Amino acid sequence: MIFRRKLLAVFALTVFLSVGGVATLVLIMTRRAFEQNEEQRTAALVAQFQREFTRQGDDIARRVGEIAASDAVSRMASAVAGPTPDLAGYFDAAKSLAESRQLDFLDLVDAHGTIISSFQSPAKFGYPESGFENLSAAAEQRAFLAQEESTDSTALGLFAVRATRGFEHPVYAIGGRRLDSTFLSTLDLPADMRALLYHNHGDRFSREWLIGPQAGNSPDAHPADRFEPLVDAVRKSNQEMTFKISWSSDQADDELFRAIPLRGLGKERPLLGILLIGASQRSYVELKRHIRASALLVGGGGIVLAILLSSWAAARVTRPVEQLARAAQEVANGNWDTRVEVPGYDEVSQLADSFNRMTSELLSHRERLVQAERVAAWRELARRLAHELKNPLFPLQLTVENLVRAREQSPEQFDEVFGESARTLLAEISNLKSIIGRFSEFSKMPQPQLQALQLNETIANVAQLFHAQLQAPGRPPIECRLELDPQLPLVDADPELLHKAISNLVLNAMDAMPLGGTLTLRSRREDGHAVVEVGDTGTGLTREERERIFTPYYTSKQHGTGLGLAIVQSVVSDHKGRISVQSESGRGTTFMIELPSSVRDARLGN
Amino acid sequence: MKRIGWLWLVVSSALLASLAAETRPQYGGTLHVAMRTAVSSLDPADTGGVDSFARRSLMRLMFDTLVTMDESGRVQGWLATSWQASGPQRLQLRLRRGITFHDGNALTAEAVAASLRSANPSWNISVDSDSVTIEHDNSDSLLLAELALARNAIEKKMSDGKPSGTGPFQIAEWQPGKKLTLTTAESCWRGRPFLDAIEIEMGKNYRDQMLALESGKAEFIEVAAEQFHRVSVDGREIASSAPMELTALLFSREATSPDDKALREALAYSVERNSIRSVLLQGAGQPAGSLLPNWMTGYAFTFSAEADLNRARHAHAQTRSNPTWTLAYDPNDTVARLLAERIALNARDAGVTLQPSTNATADLRLVRIPLASANPSLALTALASATGLSVAKTKSDSVEALYASEQALLATRQIVPLFHLPASYAASARVKGWTVNRDGSWSLADAWLENRQP
Amino acid sequence: MRIAVYNSAIPDVTANTVPRATRSILPFIFRLCFFLIVVSCLAAATDWSVPEQQLARKIVAITGPGAVSLSVENRSSLSRRDNDIVQNGLRSALEGTGLRFVKPEQSAANLTIFLSENASSYVWVAQIQQGGGAELAVVIVSTPRAAGGSSAGEAVPLSLRKTPLWAQESPILDVAVLEEGATPVHLAVLDAERVSLYRMQGGRWQQEQAMEISHARPWPRDLRGRLIPGRDHLLDVYLPGVLCHTAGSPPALSCRESDDPWPLVSGATGGNDLAVFPSAGLANGASTVVPRTAAFFAPTRNFFTGVLTPAVGKFAIVPHFYSAALVPREKYSLWLFATTDGQVHMVDGISDQTSKFGWGSDIANLKTSCGAGWQVLATGPGISADSVRAHEFPDRDPVAVSSAVEFPGAVTALWTEARSDSAVAVVRNRETGSYEAYRLAVACSQ
Repeated sequence: MIFRRKLLAVFALTVFLSVGGVATLVLIMTRRAFEQNEEQRTAALVAQFQREFTRQGDDIARRVGEIAASDAVSRMASAVAGPTPDLAGYFDAAKSLAESRQLDFLDLVDAHGTIISSFQSPAKFGYPESGFENLSAAAEQRAFLAQEESTDSTALGLFAVRATRGFEHPVYAIGGRRLDSTFLSTLDLPADMRALLYHNHGDRFSREWLIGPQAGNSPDAHPADRFEPLVDAVRKSNQEMTFKISWSSDQADDELFRAIPLRGLGKERPLLGILLIGASQRSYVELKRHIRASALLVGGGGIVLAILLSSWAAARVTRPVEQLARAAQEVANGNWDTRVEVPGYDEVSQLADSFNRMTSELLSHRERLVQAERVAAWRELARRLAHELKNPLFPLQLTVENLVRAREQSPEQFDEVFGESARTLLAEISNLKSIIGRFSEFSKMPQPQLQALQLNETIANVAQLFHAQLQAPGRPPIECRLELDPQLPLVDADPELLHKAISNLVLNAMDAMPLGGTLTLRSRREDGHAVVEVGDTGTGLTREERERIFTPYYTSKQHGTGLGLAIVQSVVSDHKGRISVQSESGRGTTFMIELPSSVRDARLGN
Repeated sequence: MKRIGWLWLVVSSALLASLAAETRPQYGGTLHVAMRTAVSSLDPADTGGVDSFARRSLMRLMFDTLVTMDESGRVQGWLATSWQASGPQRLQLRLRRGITFHDGNALTAEAVAASLRSANPSWNISVDSDSVTIEHDNSDSLLLAELALARNAIEKKMSDGKPSGTGPFQIAEWQPGKKLTLTTAESCWRGRPFLDAIEIEMGKNYRDQMLALESGKAEFIEVAAEQFHRVSVDGREIASSAPMELTALLFSREATSPDDKALREALAYSVERNSIRSVLLQGAGQPAGSLLPNWMTGYAFTFSAEADLNRARHAHAQTRSNPTWTLAYDPNDTVARLLAERIALNARDAGVTLQPSTNATADLRLVRIPLASANPSLALTALASATGLSVAKTKSDSVEALYASEQALLATRQIVPLFHLPASYAASARVKGWTVNRDGSWSLADAWLENRQP
Repeated sequence: MRIAVYNSAIPDVTANTVPRATRSILPFIFRLCFFLIVVSCLAAATDWSVPEQQLARKIVAITGPGAVSLSVENRSSLSRRDNDIVQNGLRSALEGTGLRFVKPEQSAANLTIFLSENASSYVWVAQIQQGGGAELAVVIVSTPRAAGGSSAGEAVPLSLRKTPLWAQESPILDVAVLEEGATPVHLAVLDAERVSLYRMQGGRWQQEQAMEISHARPWPRDLRGRLIPGRDHLLDVYLPGVLCHTAGSPPALSCRESDDPWPLVSGATGGNDLAVFPSAGLANGASTVVPRTAAFFAPTRNFFTGVLTPAVGKFAIVPHFYSAALVPREKYSLWLFATTDGQVHMVDGISDQTSKFGWGSDIANLKTSCGAGWQVLATGPGISADSVRAHEFPDRDPVAVSSAVEFPGAVTALWTEARSDSAVAVVRNRETGSYEAYRLAVACSQ
């Protein structure tokens, strides 16, 4: 599985990096394209403004020309030419003329520059018109930008001057339109662009001079003070500038402003206003966000897809390996005949093939080993049998040869000899029968009849049984110590067989302590198991002895069939227990039998 | 000026108004009147009501005074037939007999005394069977002039609180400040008026009034003085009163320092009254250097109304401070804005900075004050009272004493007279018999509607 | 705008009341003097010396005696002659106080005197500039102005068609010529309060008698009235709701409330309520006899109710009318009624035909020896005020037979005189505000 995950991770990372890289590239390219587009749009708008400016200027000049040529102004010019001109009746003439031509400003001025009638400042009649050095020259010009000052306000306007024709002392019509929100709203702007006008008045920036395209250009949402740096910069440099204003933390609210200085007439061409053309960054930012979101979506989808595909691919790639690993695990567990499929001819297939060959090799090897072991056991059995049987057979042979010689050499004594020889023969035959009986018994070990058993009882019975033998006179005494755990769990066991197994161990211990010693019978509880220990303080076992001690027919003793421990092991194994030995040469040996606790006991909670 | 200006105006308007007026007065019809002032009370003694030509006109429709002033400024009997001094500063007025109020009750000396007392709590009035005697602290002529004022018209409070008068019309419906409907008083002691009813719409500006006249919704309207010559077209009749309204600059406080006085002097000298009159006022009215017009006093020309920029600059040069004064004007008065702007321009030439404003709390205001009476002494006293200025009381009725009082008022530099303007009116050609009184009010008592058959 | 007759001051106001019994003569003597003599001789009669002396004293109190420069400017309605008189008087008065007049450059004080006026007084203002200073001293005197206009009967120019009869300040309702030779010598003048009798004596009209009219109810506005010379007494006076007769000698006037109809037909009485008009040079030479039709006048209005007595043919009632005129035909009489709706109804006893001739409210008929013998006078708009023109009715359409006679104001009354060949027109003079009565007669030469 780890291999599959690693593979998956590698796949996903690769896809992620690829998608991310592509998205970034697209973003950068989009931004560039947008910036170019913005520049083009702003440039188009500036051009449009200038066209509009010119068109409006021509329109104003035409209208002012119409006013100058109107009957009303001609009558005024005739009245001016009279000997005692009474112009009082004309003082509000400019109002109707201006309104009929939709002009915001109109002054009617005599040849000396004295205002006869003013639309925007009606109270200014009789005052000299300011701002014109040469009215007759201005009357020949196209429209121009100028500042109109009244008693309580100042306004920026597009003006034209025209004179009545055919009079020695003409009347000049100075008319214009206010550059205000209405004018700005006449500019044909795309939806996300807007134009503002800053009327350059006074020394310092003031929000009241900033004019938006409509009254609803809420100053609260867009505080005009934010334009101050831009306006100040343009006023200083007197050049076109671009400036970005962030209205909020949301980038979509940002606006990119192009500031264009507007200059008036005259030698100095004073800076009268600043046109601010703003392009909202919203569409750009939203597209950017859209692209980013798309990239994330595509990337995320790609990654999920990649994971799915990768897991499929990884599964496909790793399945033979996993099979191999499982097969190896099986082999490790002893199932040596485990085999794996060999799907094709790739490296993994070769590996699987090698594995299969390896297991088959191992299997054949083991069979040979088992056969060799069996042969060796048989040989050991034969040697043991030969040894066991040779021992009684030799006295039998001697006895029979004695009989023969006694018949031949001393028939008188034959009877005597016969009687004695007969007893010896019978004894030896009995010995033979005993040996054969033991072998028979081993081969006929019965299936255990399990029952819940209190092990401590069995141990105590064994100790009771051997008590006399341990204390038998004529031999060095062996002390028997019982260390029984009263909390020992019940075990499912056959009492007979278990009794036999412990007895065998006690016999072995007695054999191991010819000079006397201490026999320790101990029970304890360990990890839910019941453990029985039988320890002696005898000579101990060598390492080799320890390794071979449970082999059937092996014995370290001069007498014995070598079946005792084999029987013990067989019994323990039949009880699903385990037997082990601890021994140190010269210090004694301890056998330990571990038996699983009874199912019933386990259910009781022990 | 060989002739008095108002006479020319009245005559000229009469000439304009008289063509094709050859039929006798006809009875019947309802006359629709529009006016600018929203009169809120019809009680003549209600001194809370601001004096206006409109209010005077309304009062004279419903109420009568004891005496009236004729075209020459002479006192004529009206509800009183005669009067005589019954002691020093005691005037006894004998009442005309047989006059009844609109509610049918007779006009008695007690009723007259009650009415006069409510209008003039300080007067001591006694009555006998058919005369009232007033003790006063003025000259007899001033008292008589005061009795001729609309606010001293004789009224009788009815049980429902409405005033009842003896005039040619009585109240039919009254929505204060909006509409007044009057019906004819059948038993009027001067004869039943020709009209059956008069409906008066209030609070209409000049433009709306003109539209109402043109559309036939009103037959009688007020005309802004500066529009007087422009509205004279066929099918319409116009007339003006004597110049009876003072247009002036009124400072909100007294001049506190020599600098302040000098600045005010500079302002007064800077205003080009003549060109403003000829242009903005289109020749209406007269430039004023005095508070009272010349036709009233005969000496007004001694107070120069000419602009003198040199004197203005000279006065300004003596000052060290140069404050910016705010000049308030009535935003509903179109010519007032122009006047204020022009005065600000003129003042700027003299170095005085004026900021026209519609804010009521300004340093000075452009005011229009209707002069209370054709009697100059009474007019000056009332003017001083209306502007919050104090005028020394003189026992003498002489022109010289009047001159001294007016000169003292002007010397406070708290008021700068600008113009004396007439009250002007226009009526549909159907309306006959209407007149404009010298005090600026109109009279419709004898008006009638010509019933023109197509 | 008609300057209405009923809007003038109440005429019986005086500053001091006098007993009613003695009031009848005195005010009229005063009025007569005032209108006919005093006003025309105002300049000569006015004593300017008092204000001249006052002003001189006030001036010298400031300047002290010495050399002054003097200029006098007239800003009042004083005539050139009065102006000269006043200026001379002022100079004399000033010299009398020790002042000498020199050129301005030689003077210690510059004295400018303005002869001004206000509504009620002449106001003389002296401005004194002393020692070249900017400060001016001002002294003022005033003297009351004479009131009213200056026109009187004699001042009205004569005309072939209109003859001035009488002028006065208060409204004239009617004038009756009681006696005349070449010109009228005995007049009765009706106004709202009285009938006044005047007699020409020594080239001047003298008031003979003034007879007060008593009436309980207030007069209606636009008051109208008629003076009809009686058959057996001097006058009948018809006023709205009031009828007065004179009786006795000197005549006394007795009035009563009455709704008696007002006679519409003048002319000699032929008995049986018929009026007889002699042929007066007509071609057929026959007299014209018409019923003495009368009409009821609304007592609180300014018009006739339209009820006629006797009826004109089948018409006993016609619409309200202001005035009527008669045009007798051979077999019937055509009546013209100037009705209150501005139209003229032509009633011949059988039909009532309505027309609009653009006439005014007042019409009257004349029986003359000229033209068709019967003319109808009708008011109409003139150039600046009202005019009256004569018309004839060959059929039912008027034919103007004279040029329009212009009047200096609105015609407030037009009545056929008793002698039938002339009419009295009363006009309110637009400029002076006074009322002037004229006799209108048609001259055949026209």
